[in-house]
Amino acid sequence: MYRKTLLGLLLVALSLLAFAPVQAQDNVLNVAWPYQVPPTGHFNTFASGGIALGQYQDLHEPPLAVLMWATGDYQGMVAEEFGWDDDGNYVISIVDGNTWSDGSAMTADDLMATFNIFRLRGDAVWANMSGIEKVDDSTVKFHMESPSSLAERIILTTNLRPASVFGDIADRASMMSPGDDGWDALLQELTEFRPEMPVSGGPYTIQPDTISEANLMLALNPGGFAGDIQHYDMVRMWNGETEVVTPLVANQELHYITHGIPPTTEEDFANRGIDIVRSGMNNGPGLYVNHAVYPLNMVEVRQAIAYAVDRIQNGVVSLGESGVAVEYMTGMSDGLSEAWLSDDVLDSLNTYDHDLMKAEELLMGVGFSRNDAGHWVDDNGDTLSFELTFPQEYADWSAAAENATAQLNDFGFDISARGVQFQQHPQDIYSSNFEMAIRNWGLGDPIPGRSYLQAYNRYNGQGEVAGEGGGAGMNFDNNVDFSGGMVNVFDLSNMSSQGVDKDAQAELVSQLAVSYNELLPAIPLWERYTNNALNRNFIMVPDAGDSIFANFGGGADNWMTTLILTGVTAPADM
Amino acid sequence: MASHSSDLENARVNSPNPVKYVSDFFDRYPIHKNYYLRIFLQALVTIWAVMSFTFVLVRLMPGNPVDVLIEQILTQEGISYQEAYDRVAASFNIDPDASMLDQYVDYVGDLLRLDLGTSITSPGTRVIDEIARFLPWTIFAVGCGFLISFVLGIVLGMTMAYYRDSVLDHSLSLVSSFFTGVPNYIWGLLIIIGPGITWKWFNVGAARGTYDPGLTPGFNAEFIASAIEHALLPIFTYVLATLGSWMLSMKSSTASVLNDDYVNVAEARGLKDRRIITSYVGRNAMLPLFAQLSISIGFVLGSGVVIEEIFVYWGFGHYLFQAITVRDYTGIQGSVLILSSTFVFSNLLADLTYGLLDPRVRITGEK
Repeated sequence: MYRKTLLGLLLVALSLLAFAPVQAQDNVLNVAWPYQVPPTGHFNTFASGGIALGQYQDLHEPPLAVLMWATGDYQGMVAEEFGWDDDGNYVISIVDGNTWSDGSAMTADDLMATFNIFRLRGDAVWANMSGIEKVDDSTVKFHMESPSSLAERIILTTNLRPASVFGDIADRASMMSPGDDGWDALLQELTEFRPEMPVSGGPYTIQPDTISEANLMLALNPGGFAGDIQHYDMVRMWNGETEVVTPLVANQELHYITHGIPPTTEEDFANRGIDIVRSGMNNGPGLYVNHAVYPLNMVEVRQAIAYAVDRIQNGVVSLGESGVAVEYMTGMSDGLSEAWLSDDVLDSLNTYDHDLMKAEELLMGVGFSRNDAGHWVDDNGDTLSFELTFPQEYADWSAAAENATAQLNDFGFDISARGVQFQQHPQDIYSSNFEMAIRNWGLGDPIPGRSYLQAYNRYNGQGEVAGEGGGAGMNFDNNVDFSGGMVNVFDLSNMSSQGVDKDAQAELVSQLAVSYNELLPAIPLWERYTNNALNRNFIMVPDAGDSIFANFGGGADNWMTTLILTGVTAPADM
Repeated sequence: MASHSSDLENARVNSPNPVKYVSDFFDRYPIHKNYYLRIFLQALVTIWAVMSFTFVLVRLMPGNPVDVLIEQILTQEGISYQEAYDRVAASFNIDPDASMLDQYVDYVGDLLRLDLGTSITSPGTRVIDEIARFLPWTIFAVGCGFLISFVLGIVLGMTMAYYRDSVLDHSLSLVSSFFTGVPNYIWGLLIIIGPGITWKWFNVGAARGTYDPGLTPGFNAEFIASAIEHALLPIFTYVLATLGSWMLSMKSSTASVLNDDYVNVAEARGLKDRRIITSYVGRNAMLPLFAQLSISIGFVLGSGVVIEEIFVYWGFGHYLFQAITVRDYTGIQGSVLILSSTFVFSNLLADLTYGLLDPRVRITGEK
């Protein structure tokens, strides 16, 4: 009996050795993004469940262009020439000579197919566009209502899809209009369309027979865009979220991740010689207040809160070196503030440095006082007692909430922090069911006016869009009166993305920044910086400090995919 | 009304063998007193109740599939809420305006046609196909784990009982208590961190998945070997996590049987130890564990969620977890229906078969 038991245990132990460590193949780039395996996952990247692979979609469905964030200029990828014509329309010519992995040539038909499908889906790119026209085999003209840097960005950051796969549905969509008989059926046909094979126009192609829960392989596609300048034969895409990919990074099997990792993991990676790449993400957690709750609607109270919270401490406690305190408090990131605001405007801004005396002065100035217990009471005699909610599953935001609560309570507020299930929390904000809350300010987008969409749009009256029956969100009146006059800040944020005159846009952005700085509709705490783990023992990319790292890496303009598409990323031993 | 009563009267008079009332029917055919039919119907009602409860519950969960994907896109990409909403709303196969009652009627109608519906978050993909993709791996890994741990637990538990108060008993009791106290996900993490990352006994990445990429599933040696190889770590974890409780249960059960008179009589008769162990002690001591095992089968499908995530061994647990995460209502409903049916029918199986093993609780006649 014992012998059999021992034999069984021995067999198990020996079986473990079947997975003996293997050295990573030299010519394989190991990166990661979560995806679903078939049949849930599929090759229709226009539909939910499609295996698009996040920013790595650029490798099989290449972008038209990439914005170099450090300079503000677009670098053409598939788009060879692009720009506004004299009539205010946008014209793009794509590079000749590329082929899709199914052998079809990459032409203007692919552009037509891609944007006609966007029209069928109702994508925002068509909000400012009246039509598209094929000029020649490589050129397409986008007929615009009016020129806009936002429209340009949306068009140029599009990932191109093959007409050989989507052309049929796209052609039929081009002959119909929303509301026509058959429009909804065609949309359903699109969402249920399942291409048998992935067709790539980029340097790498997904290999369907390699798709497993663990990873999938993308093989070199020599005829695709940038296929002739690659240093890797294959890309291995590891599957999974942070907790799943972390052991692989530690085990040196996975060499680059964009997943947000906690500070303790960062430290462990650093001890293993793994580099941490940080880039500002133009957004982060902020302290939102419900403006229907007295006295949080008073600007002096919000300013006092801004002074009372040490944002540097809050950032470090929450996310270590990647939680960088916001300096200018303009509602957009410090990087965007410096890029778009004049020195005079920057100098005029209140940076709300941690100062309890100023916070005290502000509250006393509006008739508030402290009671015997040291708590602040308002002019009605009510204690400044509020509930601060936060999405409990987000470790960094939870830490930010707990720390802000502790700091404000030390100052004399009576705040209780409460975690809310992360999918319920935004719904509570949309429906105004909160007093104070931690939500995100800013947007990972280089167009500054878009940073204000969170405070003035998403969390302020988006209940109807969010299916919550027209909730008023944070109840902030977008018609504001500030030192520059009376403006509607939501209209202003939209207008600042229109047109192509940068000086005119900057003027509007300045008004947005100054008004936000004065009124603090929500109080930004810190900007989230990436903490991408990069193992330079395996991957060669430019040193830290290179301007490419300004392309922070979420969605479009990712620095790693840009470096791959330009043939820079290479094995470290090359 | 009068006309209706009259019709019934006519029907009774004209019928060659009239059944006056429903109660007459049951008096004549007392199927409601049939134990097997009764518990089978109870099982069906239980499943219907769970199915209906699940249907309502998933819709009361915070967020819906549209909200969840919007938040995901907003987190991953720098686009506005409106852009995310536009993109997502067009991608889903749901009618947000349909009433819950209409949805329920449609759902039950589909179920009666044995159709679990199509995935909400992957429109066009049938839920039954998704479950068929993932379910076999869970049955294989958790089933093997349970079987191995059950057999090992029986053997070791009996050994502990036979050698009560010996060093072996104390050692095994300590080990089994330790095994019982450590949750399966801790074992999973320890296996990854210790043998995997620290000692590098195996390649963490290569062990992931249910089989090697590039293989075609089928009855061929290469695929079967690969499937077994990939299942080893999850199976090992399941064994570690459940072995202790089987050992302790079997020890307790055996110890109680060892004190029974018939065992003493068997020993007094001079029967060989092997016969006493197998025919007298083992069979009787295993009876309570058999019921426990039958019920545990129901847990087979539901117990693998975390382990499947840790080892990236995607089975039914992962599928259910993913469906809940993205609020794929049809996926959740289909999974819970499978789960609840398994629980209910494994209990039913235990009820039906226990009498066969233990004549003392056998139900006879129309009870």
